[in-house]
Amino acid sequence: MNNDKQNSKIPAEQSTSSLSVIEYQKQLEFQKEAVVHLNALYNYALHLTMNTDDAEDLVQETYLKAYRFFNSFERGTNCKAWLFKILKNNYINIFRKNSKEPGKVDYDLIKDFYHSIKDSSIDTTEADSDYFHSLLHEEVYQALHSLPEEFREVIELCDIEGFTYEEIANMVESPIGTIRSRLFRGRKMLREQLETYASQRGFHGGTDR
Amino acid sequence: MNCQQAYQLISAAVDGELSCHEKEKFFQHLAECTTCTEEFNDAMKTKLIIKERIIRFTAPQTLINSIMHLTHHCAQESNL
Repeated sequence: MNNDKQNSKIPAEQSTSSLSVIEYQKQLEFQKEAVVHLNALYNYALHLTMNTDDAEDLVQETYLKAYRFFNSFERGTNCKAWLFKILKNNYINIFRKNSKEPGKVDYDLIKDFYHSIKDSSIDTTEADSDYFHSLLHEEVYQALHSLPEEFREVIELCDIEGFTYEEIANMVESPIGTIRSRLFRGRKMLREQLETYASQRGFHGGTDR
Repeated sequence: MNCQQAYQLISAAVDGELSCHEKEKFFQHLAECTTCTEEFNDAMKTKLIIKERIIRFTAPQTLINSIMHLTHHCAQESNL
């Protein structure tokens, strides 16, 4: 602190010790509040981009922004929701800039993508005679991706990430009533899609409770 | 409550987002209506399927490392 010019010459590793107490506390709090949601953000990014490299970039970009603006995070509110909103905004910006087409479903891509990262972590759920339990992870994944973006999004945020309607409404900038009806219609469409898969594989609605 | 009103509340009922008043009216209606009960059960089941069947991936270690490095780096920058 006594000599700024000297300090700026210190290589990165050594300057660690010169972190101010406030900055150090911020870093600790950030790790406790924000970095713990890394997996959830990564999964959300994967769902949005369908590409592991893009997903990683998106998550990095999100954390970079989040850290810079961490002071504006309202303490006591859901940090995960805050991060998701930043990620979503980043995603929109990137896709607008690159004029890519978000929401366009390429089934081959989904399959390839799915198989390419399939082995990284699969939870083994017990087999069941119920025809819905016969559905493959891949089928549920594909069915979800066959939904229009606005329906898929709310289902992901609600059913996979466990956000409340209020949090979702804030994230997608729509009223709660809209979230309610999108969820209802989205689940209905999804179920119809899943029933199609199930019947294609020889299971019929009749075996369902 | 009629079926149309109940229909609009199904997703909120599934997600535990009904107010006490809505909840009471909604389940009262379900007790008298098999169609809405079926819709409700279907929606519940669909939610469960998504939760159970969607694969959760683990972020690669390289990403975890770079996030840790990133916050560390930012902290140093703003400190200089």
